[in-house]
Amino acid sequence: MNYSELTLRYFDTAVGVGVLTGLDVYRGSAGSRAQGAWVQFDVQVNAGLVQAARFLAFGCPHTIAVSAWVAEQGVGPVSTAALPCSVQELSDRFAVPVEKRGRLLIVEDAWVAAVAGALQR
Amino acid sequence: MNRPVYLDYAATTPVDPRVAAAMAQCLGLEGEFGNPGSASHDYGAAAHALVETARAQVAACAGASPDEVVWTSGATEANNLAIFGVAHYYREQGRHIVTARTEHKAVLDPCRELERRGWRVTYLTPDSAGLIHPDQVAAALRADTVLTSIMHVNNETGVVQDISAIAAVCAQHGGARLHVDAAQSIGKSALDFAALGADLMSLSAHKVYGPKGAGALLVSRRARGAPVHLTALQFGGGQERGLRAGTVATHQVVGMGLAFELARTAPPSESDRIAVMRERLWKGLAALGGTYRNGDPAHSVPHVLSVSFEGVEGESLLAAVRGRLAVSTGSACNSTSREPSYVLRALGRDPILSESSLRFGLGRFTGEGDIDTAIAVVAEAVSRLRRLSGLPG
Repeated sequence: MNYSELTLRYFDTAVGVGVLTGLDVYRGSAGSRAQGAWVQFDVQVNAGLVQAARFLAFGCPHTIAVSAWVAEQGVGPVSTAALPCSVQELSDRFAVPVEKRGRLLIVEDAWVAAVAGALQR
Repeated sequence: MNRPVYLDYAATTPVDPRVAAAMAQCLGLEGEFGNPGSASHDYGAAAHALVETARAQVAACAGASPDEVVWTSGATEANNLAIFGVAHYYREQGRHIVTARTEHKAVLDPCRELERRGWRVTYLTPDSAGLIHPDQVAAALRADTVLTSIMHVNNETGVVQDISAIAAVCAQHGGARLHVDAAQSIGKSALDFAALGADLMSLSAHKVYGPKGAGALLVSRRARGAPVHLTALQFGGGQERGLRAGTVATHQVVGMGLAFELARTAPPSESDRIAVMRERLWKGLAALGGTYRNGDPAHSVPHVLSVSFEGVEGESLLAAVRGRLAVSTGSACNSTSREPSYVLRALGRDPILSESSLRFGLGRFTGEGDIDTAIAVVAEAVSRLRRLSGLPG
């Protein structure tokens, strides 16, 4: 399978992989290994600001690359439980094949679950 | 820039330089470029002689008679000719076929097509070692069975079927001709068409250091005291006894003939050397933990090693080793799809492990350094991907 340069860069470097701990850390996950994709985000949120984000992911290179990108780009002010950009934009940015769009929804669900936890605090 | 270590010899092999040289001699004005069907002049006669020499070489390597060799464009065409050819020729005798779930798509897809046309197909499931047992075949044969198609060496696992015993079952049945897809066999496992008792056998050149685009179907003229009949799939010249019309590609079959001759005369130590390297590879990968060997090594050719890796996703594993190691997930024909391997699923592997497998194909030019590199590259990739998903690396 051919991957975009951006996909390979984030897949290879996987910046932001890991977990966070602390009272101000919120965790969200979605998918399952049996489904072929599982993603977990930890976000450290204070005063409406995502100060740090980490991810773990099991899945295809697109799943890993997009998760890494979201963990990187998601740092900053947060007011709603939403991805830094839409799933469609992620799909375009990473040249995700249409049959894999469902994997991006798993990334979105995991991120939204983590951030929503923080916002509902 | 270093090229990736090539461990995908089960997908294809490089053409042996001696084969390439022989092929080149059939292309230019100074060589034997004539149409082998043009018997009226020296050019055609010379090409015809080369084609017949190649036919004899292929026959000698596979334990067949030269008059049993029908040239094709490869094993896929040979499989299609065998399956459709028998099914249509004997359609008044019956419309039932027996095959296995672990066959190559070049057998399964023709069978599926015949099902759409009204034939019935029984798909046998192998045991967990990958073996189809003769009694399974016997139980599946019916009065209207006209063909059984079982591969010799599995392309994903390397498991070798007991063709001789299956042939005996088919012979006892009487009407069920046996077709064997032996695309992976030459140079890897002893093969004797006549001794095995098969009626039809598909062969490929490019799996054994010959060219792509060349293959053959062996059509027995003696297995049951009478030739096997086939309905041809293409028409237009009557070549190959009317079974495969079209000008024979002299350079292709010359290449196939020499490749088979080289395989036939290769010292047995070559297989021994590869077997040692395969075990070295397996030991190195097994040390990672959470690794599963697919197929029974006691019934496998030494050139193929299929391994499933717990806790990693197959596509990511392939992507993680790219640029350093050329391997495949399952068969080459499946490498663009990311479905769990149907072959490993048929062996009872769960979907996740079936999807997280790599097939290592070792060959003539594989060295110990390649094996050590492969172990290191896969170990690094597996550890990294496991850590990415929160598992211990």
